[in-house]
Amino acid sequence: MGIRVCVLSLILTFASTTMLGARPVSYTGGSTMMYFSDNLKESVYYHYSPSYKYSLGLEWLKDKVQNENYAYLRYTHLLNRKNTQNSQRNLYFQSGISSEGIDRNFIGMHGDWETRRLFTGFGLKHVQADVKDYTKKYIQLGIAPYLGDYGDLHTWFLIKTKTNSLTNEWNSYPVLKLFKGNFMVELGYDENDEWDAHLMYRF
Amino acid sequence: MKKIIISLLLLPSLALAGELEHDMHHNHDKHENHLHEMVDGQEFQLDKEKFNKFVSGLSNAQIAVLSLQGMVCDFCARGIEKTFKKDVGYLNIDVDLSLGKVLIAYDMSVFIDKSDVEKKILSNGQNLVDMQILSIP
Repeated sequence: MGIRVCVLSLILTFASTTMLGARPVSYTGGSTMMYFSDNLKESVYYHYSPSYKYSLGLEWLKDKVQNENYAYLRYTHLLNRKNTQNSQRNLYFQSGISSEGIDRNFIGMHGDWETRRLFTGFGLKHVQADVKDYTKKYIQLGIAPYLGDYGDLHTWFLIKTKTNSLTNEWNSYPVLKLFKGNFMVELGYDENDEWDAHLMYRF
Repeated sequence: MKKIIISLLLLPSLALAGELEHDMHHNHDKHENHLHEMVDGQEFQLDKEKFNKFVSGLSNAQIAVLSLQGMVCDFCARGIEKTFKKDVGYLNIDVDLSLGKVLIAYDMSVFIDKSDVEKKILSNGQNLVDMQILSIP
């Protein structure tokens, strides 16, 4: 556990000082539709960005922990962005209120840093639920095996490490991410948690 | 767990090595494939092949050559294309991710306002560093 905490701290320090990012906020006027599935939930999420600094959205989900269906009204805010010639770093605050009541909600932080070749990101989310509250965390590190031009298929190989306070177990597994135009597909397979799937379409 | 830790630590190193290798090739390519055109005393660093393809068929046009920061992925640049396509006098657009450049062709009659371009780029999440105008007779 000591080594794990040490490595996690190193990666988080690396991520938060030199790099961060992902795109839970689109360009001004942009909309995003997402499908997400992992061991905790299966959801469809639509968000609209009135500004590049924040997005508002609705997420319909099947909660695999509580075994019920409900929706979240979500708000995501870009706290910090750093652009350089070869990189972009982002830090976001995210929150949501459940359709089941204001006392059921979540808050979290999400960060990423990427170049055309490297990607690293982290997420931290605390969910206030009906039966038992929980926290989940993840880290992602990735590399693009080739640098495609605009309009090409872009490929990323990533390693994702995640945990939640319900199981208190860290799971690491490979993830494949593909981009083409306005579409993104991310698939990960963990022998303990089965598939992670994330599909995104921006318009 | 040890394998995972080693993989996590090795990944950035491998990537950085790849990045360095890419930069070496990139620097070499700069001299062979990039156009350094002088117009009114200004130098334009562009990919020659991409540029020639972009201007083919264009006449009586002007091209805004934008240099950006933060345009690191195809996904990030999609909004730029969507935004500028709505402009009056818009003719064509191309994105060069490797050089961080965006080329936008407009009808010659249009005035290209740098502050307006800057706002549009910022609303997409990037920063405009420089804008130069090329004329295509």
